[in-house]
Amino acid sequence: MFVLSINGNDTQVDVPDDMPLLWVLRDVLGLNGTKFGCGMAQCGACTVHLDGRAVRSCVLPVTGAVGKKITTIEGIGATDIGKRVQQAWLGIEVAQCGYCQTGQIMSATALLAEKAQPTDADIDAAMSGNLCRCGTYARIRAAIKQAATGQISLPQTVA
Amino acid sequence: MKIWRIVGVVVGVVVLAGVLFTAYALITVTHGGNEQAQQPAAAGDPADLPAQMARGEYLARAADCAACHTTPGGRPFAGGVAFKLPFGTIYSSNITPDKETGIGDWSDDDFVRALHAGVDKEGRPLYPAFPYTSYTALSRDDIVAIKAYLFSLPAVHQAPPPNELSFPYNQRWALGLWSAVFLKKERFQPESGKSEAWNRGAYLATALGHCGECHTPRNVAFAMDESRAFAGSELQGWKAYNITSDKEHGIGDWSEQDLVDYFSKGHAAGRGTASGPMSEVVGYSLQYLTPSDLTALVTYLRDVKPQRGGEPVPPAPVAAQVAAAGGLGEQLFVGACAGCHLDSGQGRQTDYAMLVGLRSVRDPRATNLTQIIINGSSLHVGGQEVFMPSFGDAYSDAEIAALSNYVTSHFGGQQGTLSADDVARRR
Repeated sequence: MFVLSINGNDTQVDVPDDMPLLWVLRDVLGLNGTKFGCGMAQCGACTVHLDGRAVRSCVLPVTGAVGKKITTIEGIGATDIGKRVQQAWLGIEVAQCGYCQTGQIMSATALLAEKAQPTDADIDAAMSGNLCRCGTYARIRAAIKQAATGQISLPQTVA
Repeated sequence: MKIWRIVGVVVGVVVLAGVLFTAYALITVTHGGNEQAQQPAAAGDPADLPAQMARGEYLARAADCAACHTTPGGRPFAGGVAFKLPFGTIYSSNITPDKETGIGDWSDDDFVRALHAGVDKEGRPLYPAFPYTSYTALSRDDIVAIKAYLFSLPAVHQAPPPNELSFPYNQRWALGLWSAVFLKKERFQPESGKSEAWNRGAYLATALGHCGECHTPRNVAFAMDESRAFAGSELQGWKAYNITSDKEHGIGDWSEQDLVDYFSKGHAAGRGTASGPMSEVVGYSLQYLTPSDLTALVTYLRDVKPQRGGEPVPPAPVAAQVAAAGGLGEQLFVGACAGCHLDSGQGRQTDYAMLVGLRSVRDPRATNLTQIIINGSSLHVGGQEVFMPSFGDAYSDAEIAALSNYVTSHFGGQQGTLSADDVARRR
């Protein structure tokens, strides 16, 4: 039996201690906003926050999350930065198929919490582990800048 | 002609000496040395052994029997693990109490003799892939305890595949000659001037843990070169690092806590993470050592004579070096590796993914690094699996070479010079 702090609420779960956090979130607690992608920390779809840091929940055993603050996509809108990122995502219409956007938003929010005004290189480094097979990277970058500056940002297009 | 007579005598003497030596080797091959030796204080189980763990089970773990006698996913101790050698493949034996395919009808004396003299129940020499050159130092009581534990487990009816060795390596009797020269059938002798912990550590490292079998360089006859004990070696494509107390080449610079962390968790921050064969040692064996045995092992290792050998490891840098020339290697790292390892090399969600300070990223030949990229890594520790997926099928030789070179220069501050051909040879 573990007590997990998820989006500000303490939740008891009775699961094996090597169960990945992603399984606990989706299959045990029904928090389906976090997505399963590759299962080996290669795509970033399952990204959640652990004490504010972006981690891949598919390879994180539940015991590694005990005693830490877990934030998922369901709770990210309750934070100031998370709310700004979500609004920018809507404003720029980042998503195409949308499967990766949970992970993208979680990684983007963690980046902005650490660096309020990230450069292009900061964005590339922080977001490199989050794949988007629709190729919306230009819009993702624009949305992060818009969330950072509060000013409308246009996606860079190929000249 | 007088000269021919002299040659004849010389040849005769050499042949006679050969015959006598062979006779001596064959007669003594099953002798185990002094079987009446008193059990030294350094042998046995530690005082802080948890009561629920049987003494024999603890000793079997400390001797890491499972790593060679259990196939991944197979039944415990049923054997069949393949050892690919330059002259063929041999398979480990079934050491469960099955009477036909295992050791079910071995007596205590048979089993003790196997570990002390390196022969099977019938007295035939065993291949020294079985580390009897180290186990010969074990006390009889400890060996009998290990056997009692093995006999408490379920018998598995499973014969290992037959060995595939070419002539002359398939001639088992000839191993008797090797043993006569290189196997010192002596029990562990405590050093009187050293502490109890030191002696216990020596027993753990040299007899039970048989660390030297991988970490001590071998001479031309494949016997451990004891004058260079623990100075590092290379086997099965992996580097077994220098673990002497040399500060640059060995582990003399590691703190005691670093060593305890490495043994018990398979990871010491900024020092190393156990991978490949060493991840098996931690997973099957070292993580189960009691606190007193960990302390003893550390005490001994810190006092091992420093030896130079292997790549020198300059002091670990505190952070990633200034970005080296990017290109393909950097692109690959950012795309496939930074997700877990982070651009800074600090590891995203676990210390195990930390690259900064590791010896594997400071080796310009990137021996272990390329193994891990090609084959991935898996460490079972504390009831969990820490793993990295393999990238050998995803990337070409040239890509893996570029990635290796980027990692060794970016995180290790070394000039990586690996070529695609080097990578091809390591697959």
